[in-house]
Parts: sequence; structure tokens; C-alpha cells
Amino acid sequence: MSWAQAILLARGLSRGWGGICGAVLTGAPFSQVPLQAPRGLHCSAAAHNSDSWLVPPWPEPRKGPTKALTLHEELFQQTLEGARDKANFVRAVQNFGQHNVHKRGHVDFIYLALRKMREYGVERDLAVYNLLLDIFPKEVFRPRSIFQSMFIHYPRQQECGIAVLEQMESHGVMPNKETEFLLIQIFGRKSYPMLKYVRMKLWFSRFKNINPFPVPRDLPQDPVDLAKLGLRHMEPNLSATVTIYQMPSSRDSTGTADPTEPHIVGIQTPDQQAALAHHNPARPIFVEGPFSLWLRDKCVYYHILRADLLPPEEREVEEIPEEWNLHYPMQLDLEYGRSGWDDYEFDIHKVEEGPVFAICMAGAHDQATLAKWIQGLQETNPALAQIPVVFRLAGSTGELLASSSGLEEPPPPEGQEEEEDSQQRQQQGQS
Amino acid sequence: MATSGCMGVADLLRRAVAARASRALVAFATSRRLLRTSPPSRAFAKELFLGKIEKKEVFPFPEVSQDELNEINQFVGPVEKFFTEEVDSERIDREGKIPKETLEKLKSLGLFGLQVPEEYGGLGLSNTMYARLGEIVGLDASIAVTLAAHQAIGLKGIILAGNKEQKAKYLPKLASGEHIAAFCLTEPSSGSDVASIKSRATLSEDKKHYILNGSKVWITNGGLANIFTVFAKTQVVDSDSSVKDKITAFIVERDFGGVTNGKPEDKLGIRGSNTCEVHFENTKVPIENVLGEVGGGFKVAMNILNNGRFSMGSTVAGMLKKLIEMTAAYACSRKQFNKNLSEFGLIQEKFALMAQKAYVMESMAYLTAGMLDQPGFPDCSIEAAMVKVFSSEGAWQCVSEALQILGGSGYVKDYPYERFLRDSRILLIFEGTNEILRMYIALTGLQHAGRILTARINELKRGNVTTILETVGQRLRDSLGRTVDLGLTGKLGAVHPSVADSASKLEENVYYFGRTVETLLLRFGKTIVEEQMVLKRVANILINLYGMTAVLSRASRSIRVGIRNHDHEVLLANIFCAEAYYQNLFTLSQLDKYSPENLDEQIKKVSQQVLEKQAYVCAHPLDRTS
Repeated sequence: MSWAQAILLARGLSRGWGGICGAVLTGAPFSQVPLQAPRGLHCSAAAHNSDSWLVPPWPEPRKGPTKALTLHEELFQQTLEGARDKANFVRAVQNFGQHNVHKRGHVDFIYLALRKMREYGVERDLAVYNLLLDIFPKEVFRPRSIFQSMFIHYPRQQECGIAVLEQMESHGVMPNKETEFLLIQIFGRKSYPMLKYVRMKLWFSRFKNINPFPVPRDLPQDPVDLAKLGLRHMEPNLSATVTIYQMPSSRDSTGTADPTEPHIVGIQTPDQQAALAHHNPARPIFVEGPFSLWLRDKCVYYHILRADLLPPEEREVEEIPEEWNLHYPMQLDLEYGRSGWDDYEFDIHKVEEGPVFAICMAGAHDQATLAKWIQGLQETNPALAQIPVVFRLAGSTGELLASSSGLEEPPPPEGQEEEEDSQQRQQQGQS
Repeated sequence: MATSGCMGVADLLRRAVAARASRALVAFATSRRLLRTSPPSRAFAKELFLGKIEKKEVFPFPEVSQDELNEINQFVGPVEKFFTEEVDSERIDREGKIPKETLEKLKSLGLFGLQVPEEYGGLGLSNTMYARLGEIVGLDASIAVTLAAHQAIGLKGIILAGNKEQKAKYLPKLASGEHIAAFCLTEPSSGSDVASIKSRATLSEDKKHYILNGSKVWITNGGLANIFTVFAKTQVVDSDSSVKDKITAFIVERDFGGVTNGKPEDKLGIRGSNTCEVHFENTKVPIENVLGEVGGGFKVAMNILNNGRFSMGSTVAGMLKKLIEMTAAYACSRKQFNKNLSEFGLIQEKFALMAQKAYVMESMAYLTAGMLDQPGFPDCSIEAAMVKVFSSEGAWQCVSEALQILGGSGYVKDYPYERFLRDSRILLIFEGTNEILRMYIALTGLQHAGRILTARINELKRGNVTTILETVGQRLRDSLGRTVDLGLTGKLGAVHPSVADSASKLEENVYYFGRTVETLLLRFGKTIVEEQMVLKRVANILINLYGMTAVLSRASRSIRVGIRNHDHEVLLANIFCAEAYYQNLFTLSQLDKYSPENLDEQIKKVSQQVLEKQAYVCAHPLDRTS
């Protein structure tokens, strides 16, 4: 019987059993199921509880094990005096191994360690994950018969193993051979953590480069660099030039930028420059924004310089001059065009938009700052001096508030939120 | 023939007195030709687009009279002697300039005024004779380019579009080589895009001068020349009294003042020719020096360029013949494994290729020259462009193969071979790049075919039942395999029976080419201008067809007249025709709709992605995802 079939069968069976046992063990979160419970019942309860049991209850199962966790908390407390870094994290894990020769409570400790990882900044460290897996006693949880492997053997431990893998997944850490070796040693080949591992191996590699517009994993801290990155990200044309119109005034010791001189970084392509040069000065152009752009877990705001679409009667039909190409005719003097069979243009209703002439990202979103941008643009676009510029800055508060409130919700990513928040407070203050 | 023999004049330079009257007529009529809009006679290449062979244009192969031949041979002798014995190509290449004494000798041989009419002190050679001399001049690429820039484009404008006074004033000194000419069109921002020319000539207040300002780049002879044909924008009042910028051609003397040139460019090949920037700063050009009409510069430039191209065929052929001699000597003397190189099949193949290419380009060049020399001044610009494309690519390919035969000695500067390679690379680029000329070849022909087929295509589009049935029936007959007979073969056919097989291959290709052109026009209409990959294929087929015609015509004549080694010619002709035939079949099948051989869509996607990233897109082969 293949493994897959065994699993299907096991799940089907357990579901049937669940119907019976469910009455007995209703609603009990499976992590709280006492270990002493008979194994068969135990696993059925877990399976019954939810079909998505493979997804570990992280970060849910706080309440139950907390009591037990306090037990190990001190291992991390000890290290607290020192810096929160990898060395101390590893020391804490090693301490656990030394104090607990029999590895009592290792599942709780692993859950605790998983949660501590981000604090110690090791959440992307494969070696640390392998170290955590190494805590599990070897060979003990390996199913020894086909029935054991059918009915989840040591579910709590398996779930814990999956939780480790899951956290790796959410941080984009690819397991390696050592992980595989450990998992086989701990749970055996026909176990759910192994299944998870195999799936990660398969899909991680396929999804790793699926984004055609990759954003670097570690975003630059400097707002100017970040703005450059964001602008390059929005403008695919490589011939575009990024100009720093104003550097932020030097940061003082507190690390906050002087609000009077925020950074202004803009991008413009040669095509946009040409389009701006041809713009009819009688028609105003607009500075609009701020619009938001998410780069990983950071939100940046940009403004655009754009014009309204020309009404059809004013559009110049591009004429092919008669004496243009010295060497060959640029157009044929024929009455008929392309036949329908070779016309692959789909009949799509296209919404035409006015041209965008430039994009900028600035530290502040008020008119004074953006006026400086326009001033800077004038150096390379002399035509801009003749064109009236209208500032149409959105009542930024609403949009920004919404997004900033959205920021609070997810687990704070890498401690950037203070800066983000201060930036937004600044924005709100100004708008 | 425009010339008829009349010999017995001793002096080389004044020898070709004979057809002076007729040639004066040529010059006169050529200048008048600019004013005419439609081509005067049915050109061969254009008719190919309709699936027809205009036999009387190309059969029999053009001949020159015995007198003329003697005349040219007398002239060729000393020139050839000079080139083989006195011209030190290695030194010219090394020093980056042609020595003064060499230039003087070239002038005294009369090579600076080959096509200048006799009444202005030139030799007034016909195109055929000019091509013949090109073969020898081609032995040194730097000299060939210098001479071509002087007379094929530099002073050609004066011959084609100049008035009597201009001709009388400038041509004698140019023909003697006392003055050297240069052609100034290209600008930093403008290659073939004439609309972006920035040089400007403004009429002075007294209306007697134009003030010329601007910079020109890549000007061959820019540093040597005294007379420049310059193209600049002028303001012209149009017929509807609107003011427009139009191109005007000027004859500018260096002595007018304000003419400066940059230092000579350091080039890959043709290092002995002088190429540099030329700047005009407030140069006062008298209004008498406007070449052609004010605002008519575009046509002048077009005519000069279209006329100058055919000679590349014979020039390259001359070079190749020399190369074959040199490499053959090497292959027959170098031993490997107790065998001469010449006994290895892969080496033999290369010699056959070189011989074949030389034969084809020679045939094409002289056929075109002969057509150009016919009375009535046929428009042979497509043919000339085809000669240029074929010969430049053939040159590059053959020189590369020759270097392959020579191995290491081809790669070092101790031998002349690497110079041949460097020199031949420019041929694909100048006088209109081959890509641009392919567009010209295809589009000019399609324009012709499109006009003639308009009625038929309109009927098809409107859904005229009889026309549709007719077309469907024709296609059905074609697909069932019909034998095409365009009258080349048979009892009274134009070609000799030895090459009859090749002739029927040509006929078949021509017929199906005509069908394909019709289909393409039906499919794309005037938007075919944007389908450059389709156009390239059309041009490739046409070049092959023209090459086939040229070799068939030449081989047939050789057999019938009994030229020495005509059996060798038959071999070459048959080889080329068979190869070209299968190439054409493949290309024609690529032009079908939904053709599996046609990968254009994929190719476009690849290049689009590469250009978007402006880099090679694929990850490194050693990259891993885990």
C-alpha cells in the first residue's frame, strides 16, 4: 500500500472514529489532550477536531501550555542579561538539553523557543531550526508498524515538528538535508512532518522566483534608498533616471529627520521628458497623491505629475513625413490594410488615461515640499516653467489612517513600526 | 550599349573619346531623370514580385563590344600592375593613411574621374567598365573606399543633379584628382532618418548666400576633401504658401571658410581611408551652389545612394578572386598526415563555396551594370541593392572561411588575411546597412506589386464570387503540383539545356513567390511595413532569385558563345541554383500562415524580454533554488 493511500485510509478511519469519540472529547483543543489518553482515541480526536490540523495552532495555543511554559521561560530569562542574539538563543537551547537529560517537556520548550525566535532575530536561521528539531528524542516517535503510521503516532510531537516547519515556511527558510535527516530520525519517513518537509521542498523551489518583480529581502533602512528602490520598482524602464532633488537634512542624535527638509527623490524616463516638452502649456498639469506602495512590510507614499487626457479633437495625428527615411519607404501607398484573419488585436475596451510625466517620493506630503520637486524638475524640463501646475493632494488623512491602523494588526515586523508610525504621525500632522 | 568603340587614341586619359556625344546625352538625361516620378521601363526585380520573369531585361547576359573590351583591357593592365606591384596595403593599414605618392599615382592613372564625362576631363566610363575597374581597385580596400567616396557618392551629385555651370566649374578638377570630394549626410542624430538632420542653411539678407551651420559625422575623405556635397535643412515655401523645412543639397568648397574637420577615426578596417567629423560654421555658400532644386535634397541624396551601390559586387569579387588564389596556394602546399590540405573534403568544400559566391556576385554585378547601361535609364535601384547585400555578406562569409583554411596564419598580422577580414566587415554596414537595404528591396517591390494587385485584392476582400473561385481554383491546382513554365526552358528558351533544370527551379520559385506576395498583401495590406521579419524573408528570396537569374543568364551565354571553362560555370550555376531553390522553398514555407517553421512570435518574445531587462535573462546554470 502506498503511503498516500495509507494516509487517506487513516484519515477516513479516524473520521469515523471521531464521530464516536467526539462525544466524549468535544471541543477539547487537541494540544490539551492529556498525553496519557489512549493513542487511538487521541489521534482520532485530533483529526476530528479540524481538517486543517496540519496547520499548527500557532500562535493560538497560548492558554493551555502557558503554565508549563513558565517552567522553561527562565532558560531564556537567564540569557536576558546578555544581548538577544543567536549565541544566547543557542545557549538557552543547549541549557535545556543539559538540564533535562530526559527531555521532559521538550514540546512545550520548542513552542516557547519558536515564539522567542523573532525576539532573538534568528527567525531566518536554518541552523537554529535544525537545532530545535534536534531537541526531539530520536527514534522514539518512529512508527514501528503500518498501523502506527496509519493512526498518527505521537500526534502532539508530530504537530510540534510541523509547527517548526511551518514557522520556517512563513519566514521563507528552505529546509536542507540535515533537516530531512533529523525528521527521519525523529518521526520516520512515513510521518506528517516528513510530508510537510517534502511539500516544502517541492513548492518552495517553485515559488521562490515566481515574482517577476522581486523585492529584496532586506529593505534599505535609509529613506532615500528606500525611495529609490520603490521608484525603480514602479518604473520598469531602465533608461529612467532617478534624481535626488533634496537630501534629508542630517539626522540628529534622536534619529528623526528634520521635518522642514524632508528627502525628495524623483524618477523620470526620457520618454516622459519628451512628452512633457510637447505638452500644451495652455493645459494645466497636476501633482497628485499620495498613493501608497507596499514594499514587503513597509508602506511608502508617492506622488505623480500627470495631465488629463487630451480631448480627441486636440490630439495630433502622428503623420509620417514624406521625406523621412532616405533608404526605404516608411509607408506603402496602398488602399487596403490588414485582413481580419491576421488581426490579432482583441476587441478590448481600453480606458485611456492621461500621461504621467514623473513620479516622486518625498519625506513629507505637503505642497511646499512637492513644489520643491517641481522646481527641481524644471532644470531638466524647461517646458515646465510655462505650464501651470495644480496641486491635487488627497485628503491624505483618511487613507493613511486606514493603512496605519492596518499596520498595527499583524505581528510587528522587524521592529520597523516605530519609524513607520512616526512618519505617519508626521504626515497626519502636516495634512 | 551607351558606348561604341573607337580606338587609336594613345593617351590613357583621353582614350575613350568615342561615345562622347552619346555620353553627354547620358549625363543630360540623368539629370533630367530626377524630375521624373515613375520608372521609365519595367524593371526585372519588380516584375518578380508578380511572379513574372521579364526575360528581355536579363537574357541574354549583357556583352560589351570587342573594341570596348580591348579599350578597357588596355586601361586595366597598368592599373593592375600598379596595384599588385606598388601599392603596399600592409603599410597603408599600419599607418592609417594612403601615402602621398600612391595618391598621386592613382590620380595620374585617372582613377579619380572614372565616370566623369569626357567633356569635363574624366574617362566617362560606362557602368560596366566602371565595375571592371572596381575589381582591381578592390585589391586594396582603403583605396577602394577612398575612391568610392570620391566618385560614387562625393561627386556623383554634381554629375546627376548639377547644372552646366556647376559641372564645368567643379568636375574637371575633381576628375583629375586635384580636388577630392566627400559626401556629407550623416549627423550624430541622423542616420537614415533624414527628418532629424540638424544642419541648417539660412538665406542671407542679400539673398546671394546661404549660411551653413552644422556638424556631420563619419565622413569618408572628410579630412582630404576640398569639395563637399552637403545636405542641410532650408526653409522652403510650399505650394500652399506654408513654410516648411526641407533638405537641400549644396556644393561646398573648403575655401568658403568655416569648414573644419576632426581627427581621423581609428577604425577596425579600411584604416587607410580618412573618416572624420566635418563641421560647418557660418560657411557662406553662394546660391549658385545649390545642387538641384532648393528643397529637393532628399531626391538628390536618394539618387546618389541608389546609384552607387552596384559596383560593390565586382569590387568584392575582385578581392575574393585574389583571396582564392592565395588560400589555394596555401592549401596545396601545407601537408598534414602526409596529405595536402587540399585533399580534405572539408577544405575542398570551402573553396567551392568561395568560387560559387564569387561567381554569383560577379554575375549579379555585371548583369546589373549591363542593365544600367541600357538606353532608357531603367531604374535598377532594387537590383543594385541586392548586389550590395549579396556581395557584402558573401565577402564576410568567404573571408571567414578562408581564415578557417589558413588556421593560425589567418589570425596574425604577419599575413594579409586578417586585414581582409577587418576590411570586409564594413561592407555590411556602409552605403545603407544590409538590414535597411532588405527593407528597401522588399518594400519597393511590394509597393509595385500592391498597386498592380489592388483591383484584384479589393475584389477578393469584397467577396466577389468569381474572383474567389478563381483564386481557390488556382491554389488548388498549385497544391496538386503544377509544372511552372515561364518560358525560360524549351526549344526556344532563353537558357541553355545544361542549366535547364536550374531554370525550371527558378521558374517554380518565381511563380510561388508571386503567389506568396499576393497572399502577404492580402493578409497584411499596407501594414506589412511593420512586419520586418516577413520583409526580410521576402528580400532574401528575391536576392536568391536575382542571383539565380544572373548565373543562369551568364552560364547560358558562356556555353553558347563557347567561353573558356564554361563547364565549370555550369557546375557553379547549378550548385547555386539548387541551394538557393531549397532555401527559397524553406523561406516560402515560413511565410505561410501558421507555418511551423516560422518562429517569429517566439523570437519576438525573447527579444522583448531581453530588451526589457537590457540583459541576458536566464539564471546562471549553476544556480539553485534550495
